[in-house]
Amino acid sequence: MKRLAIAATMLLAVVGTAKADAVLVLNSEEASYSILSRATRTELARLPVGREPHHLMPTPDGKEVLIGSTATNELLALDSNTGDRRRVIANIIDPYQLGFSRDGKWFVTVAYRLDHVDIFHADGFKLAGRIFIDGLPSHMAFDAESKTVFVSLQQSGRLAAFDLATQTLKWNVPVGNTPAGVLMLPDNNRLLVALTGEDGVAVVDPKDGKVTGRLQTGKGAHNFWPKGDGRHWFVSNRVEGSVSLIDTQDMKLTGSIKVPGGPDCMDITADGKELWVTQRFLRRVAVVDLEQMKVVASIPVGKSPHGVYMLKSGPAAPGSPVSPAGGPLRAVSTGSGTTR
Amino acid sequence: MGELTDLWVGVQNWLFETFVGPVIFWLGQMAWYEPAYNAVEFVMLGALQIAVIALGMRFFEKRWPLEKTGDDRLIGVDRVYTVLNKLGIIPFAIFVITYPISQEIELLMRSWGMAPPRIERLVPWLGDNVLASFLVYFVLYDFAAYWLHRAQHAIPWWWALHSLHHSQRRMTVWSDDRNHVLDDFLTTLALVLFSQMVGVQPGEYVTILVVGRLVESWSHANVDMSFGRIGERLLVGPRFHRLHHALANPEERHIHDHNFAPVFPIWDILFGTAIYDGKHRPTGVDDPVIDADNGRGWAVQQVTVFGRFLRAITPRFLRAPFQPGLRPPAE
Repeated sequence: MKRLAIAATMLLAVVGTAKADAVLVLNSEEASYSILSRATRTELARLPVGREPHHLMPTPDGKEVLIGSTATNELLALDSNTGDRRRVIANIIDPYQLGFSRDGKWFVTVAYRLDHVDIFHADGFKLAGRIFIDGLPSHMAFDAESKTVFVSLQQSGRLAAFDLATQTLKWNVPVGNTPAGVLMLPDNNRLLVALTGEDGVAVVDPKDGKVTGRLQTGKGAHNFWPKGDGRHWFVSNRVEGSVSLIDTQDMKLTGSIKVPGGPDCMDITADGKELWVTQRFLRRVAVVDLEQMKVVASIPVGKSPHGVYMLKSGPAAPGSPVSPAGGPLRAVSTGSGTTR
Repeated sequence: MGELTDLWVGVQNWLFETFVGPVIFWLGQMAWYEPAYNAVEFVMLGALQIAVIALGMRFFEKRWPLEKTGDDRLIGVDRVYTVLNKLGIIPFAIFVITYPISQEIELLMRSWGMAPPRIERLVPWLGDNVLASFLVYFVLYDFAAYWLHRAQHAIPWWWALHSLHHSQRRMTVWSDDRNHVLDDFLTTLALVLFSQMVGVQPGEYVTILVVGRLVESWSHANVDMSFGRIGERLLVGPRFHRLHHALANPEERHIHDHNFAPVFPIWDILFGTAIYDGKHRPTGVDDPVIDADNGRGWAVQQVTVFGRFLRAITPRFLRAPFQPGLRPPAE
């Protein structure tokens, strides 16, 4: 009996440790999410969630992480420290991509299959306005003043800007073939749009949507993730099977990492040493060593893994750079004293 | 299992990134990138099914054939149907038409705030049991397929199409895919919509389709086999399904209006349409117009059966006085 109690205590300790360094991965074609251990690089558990979960986003206070289940019209809120289930927020229609404005007042979802953008009051998730727009709305970014949300329209090759307070369209202009990831740079004067139907990113003026430049990264440029220094960003290239590192100050390519299997969403470890990338086609998550700039592990998960998120993110640091869709970012010890 | 999954996904990824993905990219149709990747898996699964039929199921037919004599030339066209279906050529054409329709219906419902239910929400235990959850959805899917099958026999214009499947006098493991494309389209559309309504996941749908179609291919085999006294009441086998293809005779005018179930015989047992008598009967349809399908090639069958369908939907007063082959043979 005593042995059993010791074994149970040890098991709980292992589970506790595992949760503390856990990584969430959404298996979009399996209606499940995987919990991975960062330390052992193994899958600890696979748990059910709605249907067709694609993206996830921490809340502005950093206490919860929201998983959007697109086919069941709901968000599942998990404790962002432990991964425990807290609540289900219903009647959020087709929440494909989720994001909070920088001031935390607005919560926006884009309905990829239903062609609309929903703007909610973040407090209580009360719908402020729904704007129907053709062309498969997919990714988003916010301006620093929390006045505008920019949404890429994959099928029509456009980028649209919406006023958050009035829930109206400001402009809708062509930017290139199959635009996906959208990123507002820290200077608040340049937007980057990953062009999945081309081989790089477009630089866009947030005032009017005018394309002011281009940077080649790789075929099927799709999504962004910050390195954490406010200057360098990763870009996943789905067709090329690579992740590029770009310098957004000099607008140049500074590195490239081969990541096979349709690399998509990314997240970086708190120490800034590893980038975790979902490999949609291989049903795996790649672990990239950023010192060696190569994949050092690939962890099996469920079918079509899409969103990835490191638990224990904590609240956003004031004035910190933000993730592409506006979520709070935890401090990372990159040596430069910056946050991401 | 992990190694097998890696091998399977590795081949799929290689095929996609080498042949399909670059074409999608070149065509500028990246919105179809994910569906195209899944289509590659569909073709791979089809090739696997053909291999299982040709190498596995055919072994039993050759070793223990039920009907030892007959015109083997009639079988060739069924092989064409199987290849066209399993390798995704017919399903792709159907997908192109059904996808927008099913999408529109689903999206309309969801925009009204109606979301497909998940049975796991009612029975949370299922959420942690992947196999049990899959079986529940499989049984639901088969229930819908059972009633669709009954409709194919009961509605005259649908029978005009479905009778092609029954016209085969030399039933073998290749016969399952012998269907008119319009019949395939209608059943696919109905089953896709049903699956969306009850909350079947895309991954589950593919598995249900593959496992179900393998069971159905085997149930058409030219062998006198079953899964045993209890097993044949749990899973449809060749002896059970052959009765459904039986040629009507003066003593048994309604014999083929039994044993409809595609995979699970429970539906026939529950709804009073099951017969377990172990008798051997010839297969086919006792209507000369329908029986004439035998010996025809794929294209000619498609055209003539479509003609039967057109006549069946033509109002009675516009038809010629005698129109054989329009009614279910049971009538």
